Amino acid sequence: MADTIDMVDKLLADLKNIGGVEASIAASRDGLLIRANMPKEKFLASLAAMSATMLGAAETATTQVEKGLPTRVIVESEYGRLIIVGAGPKALLIILANSNSSLGLILIELDKSAKKLKELLK
Amino acid sequence: MVETGIPKLDEILGGGIPKGKSLVYYSQPGVEGEVFGMQTVYNTLKSGGNCVFVVSSTIPDIVKGLFKEYGWDIDEYKDRLCLVDAYNPLIGAPSDEKYIVANPDSIESFNKIIIDLIKELPPSTIVFGSLSTIMDLCGEKETIEAVRNWNKMAMLYNHVLVYNFTVWPYTNQTLHLIKEELFNAVISIGSIAERVIFGQYFGILKSDWTKETKKSMLFRVLRPGGIKLFIPKILVTGPFDAGKSTFVHALSTRAISVDRLGTTIAMDHGHVDYKGFSADIFGTPGQERFDPIIKLLSGESMGVILVVDSTNPADFVRAKHMLDITKSYGLPYVVVANKQDMPGALSPEEIREQFNLPDDVPVVSAVAKDKLGVFEAFEVLIDKITGGT
Repeated sequence: MADTIDMVDKLLADLKNIGGVEASIAASRDGLLIRANMPKEKFLASLAAMSATMLGAAETATTQVEKGLPTRVIVESEYGRLIIVGAGPKALLIILANSNSSLGLILIELDKSAKKLKELLK
Repeated sequence: MVETGIPKLDEILGGGIPKGKSLVYYSQPGVEGEVFGMQTVYNTLKSGGNCVFVVSSTIPDIVKGLFKEYGWDIDEYKDRLCLVDAYNPLIGAPSDEKYIVANPDSIESFNKIIIDLIKELPPSTIVFGSLSTIMDLCGEKETIEAVRNWNKMAMLYNHVLVYNFTVWPYTNQTLHLIKEELFNAVISIGSIAERVIFGQYFGILKSDWTKETKKSMLFRVLRPGGIKLFIPKILVTGPFDAGKSTFVHALSTRAISVDRLGTTIAMDHGHVDYKGFSADIFGTPGQERFDPIIKLLSGESMGVILVVDSTNPADFVRAKHMLDITKSYGLPYVVVANKQDMPGALSPEEIREQFNLPDDVPVVSAVAKDKLGVFEAFEVLIDKITGGT
């Protein structure tokens, strides 16, 4: 139990180390915060909930029009990016990155981490 | 009775710890267990009692700093708090405290101070910051014999003894004695990973002055604030325009909503700190076209607040249906009869009848926009969740 927490923390710390990544968060599909690596803490729980809603809404939208499941949700905003990927049936991963970050690199690492998180939470 | 100051625990213990009894906080390693004893120290002082705190795992100055971190000003009660320094002599540092255990690696040295204090002081709450460190230094058998003796003496002199104990790999015999024999009450503190919620819980393992209870509570430790009971998710749902967002905002210390054209399209999310509880509130949209999102958000709720517009019985069918789609049956829920200030509002009794609600489902009348009835509904639900009275 405590070990799983450590392992999730390690996974999040690795993601945080990618250039331009400002925060990495693991949340449940239904919007509860699991663990986070993020300096500003106040908004965390809400961010987890909002991200789960976005990914869920995206999944509902694309599957309803028979386009299959979305690979990820990327939000490009004024000062950065918010990226959400599913990590198995229970969880999802959220990344906050600044505008200078390399999107390609982040996505590769994020997909790997999502697979790992899925295993950790089995 | 001495209250522990831990939310809900005193209630379950029938008011607290009776004079002359002993209690141990039995915590798994890696869990924030030491704050339990400290919260009991602060609560005793705050309610006018005398307190002894035996500091054995770090220097007293650090402990004082910790109290400050939790927002507990112990300086104010200096004259009723006696710190016993059982650490500085160990590292050969001078101590500013009046009571010092000269050789913290010998149980006789502890005995001398503790027994004197037990005999001299008026009935007090004596808290051991870490029984496990004493055990590590003085030996398991020796410590257990001493504790047995202290507990007996405390009984004679009407003190309350409280121990923090961390369950390191001691011998089975030692752990058995601590769990089953040595103390009047054992509160276990541990961590759980239930599906995706990583949390800490406490529960009563044993208490010889109350009825057995198996209930355990999730908690988190706030700085400042100390131990708060933690409810990861309370769902607020109900038909369109019932006042769910207003309700979430009225209840929450801080809250956000995703609103467009005056209606919630994604969700409301709020956080409540109230009477020792810390809860996150999820508010769903109401319109049917958002049902997929409602389903998505409703997993793992611990309780549901169903908000209805008391002036609009036409929507009650939808309200019932929403309990269905949130899979809320089986979970504790309360019905909030909102908009009671409007003409034509049905009374809570009329709503109960229309809904055909079972007797144990509370209906709370409310005017969410004026914050009326909002905290009552929260409290009633919390009571149902924690199995309270």
